[in-house]
Amino acid sequence: MRTLTKLALVLIPTITLSMTATAHDPAMHAKEADKADCSKIDHSKMDMDDPVAVAMMKKCMKQDEAAKKSMEDMDHSKMKDDDNEHNH
Amino acid sequence: MKIVKLLLLFAVLGIGATATVMYSGVVNVAADEPHSELVYWLLEETRENAIKKAAQAIDVPDLSEPELLLTGGVDYEFMCSGCHLKPGQSESDMSLGLYPSSPNLTIANKEHEGHEHDDDIQAARKNFWVIKHGIKASGMPAWGKTHDDQRIWAMVAFIKQLPTLTPEQYQVLSAIE
Repeated sequence: MRTLTKLALVLIPTITLSMTATAHDPAMHAKEADKADCSKIDHSKMDMDDPVAVAMMKKCMKQDEAAKKSMEDMDHSKMKDDDNEHNH
Repeated sequence: MKIVKLLLLFAVLGIGATATVMYSGVVNVAADEPHSELVYWLLEETRENAIKKAAQAIDVPDLSEPELLLTGGVDYEFMCSGCHLKPGQSESDMSLGLYPSSPNLTIANKEHEGHEHDDDIQAARKNFWVIKHGIKASGMPAWGKTHDDQRIWAMVAFIKQLPTLTPEQYQVLSAIE
């Protein structure tokens, strides 16, 4: 009986831990897509008759709007006040 | 009767020679050992003329629409750039390893040997056909099996602009939204 108990104590955690290995999502290895780097684009030099320039403007504007919306959707009341932390 | 026997003899000899070549394993299929110039020329001419004929009836839509570049850019980055390169890149593992080598699409079509006289419409037709149908035994997939015509035209529109793009412009156009 004692042997069986010891065996169970070893095997159950081992089997449980080994099952978590199959839960690993291969998608974690997928290349993370970069966002558009709009900082290097000089808008003053853009020719608005050029489809490349217009496409870049559209992409950057969409990205800006998405970033703004994400900021608006944030619950600012739950943000820590950095100043208070420093004063302590 | 003599002629018929002679033709039969040639046919048998031809089949025998073909079978010998096929089953002996003497043909070198290594991608890192190029064909002779004659064989390469024969294969390339056959390929180019086949594509030209197959693509001649394709109607090319207006490729100047900026939205096409946004879809085409992302697809190019994820489906094409590994073999066909991006601005600022001169080679990749795939471009070095493939034979025939994948054309570098960051340089203008007219700078590719054999395409000096292609006009934009002809180039667009050929690019559309090749992307949609692929090329046998070349490593070029038939993307038409998984992508509709509109998406392929977007890639054609992007490839048309690709030689003019700086690495920064490419990064913006090919980034996922």
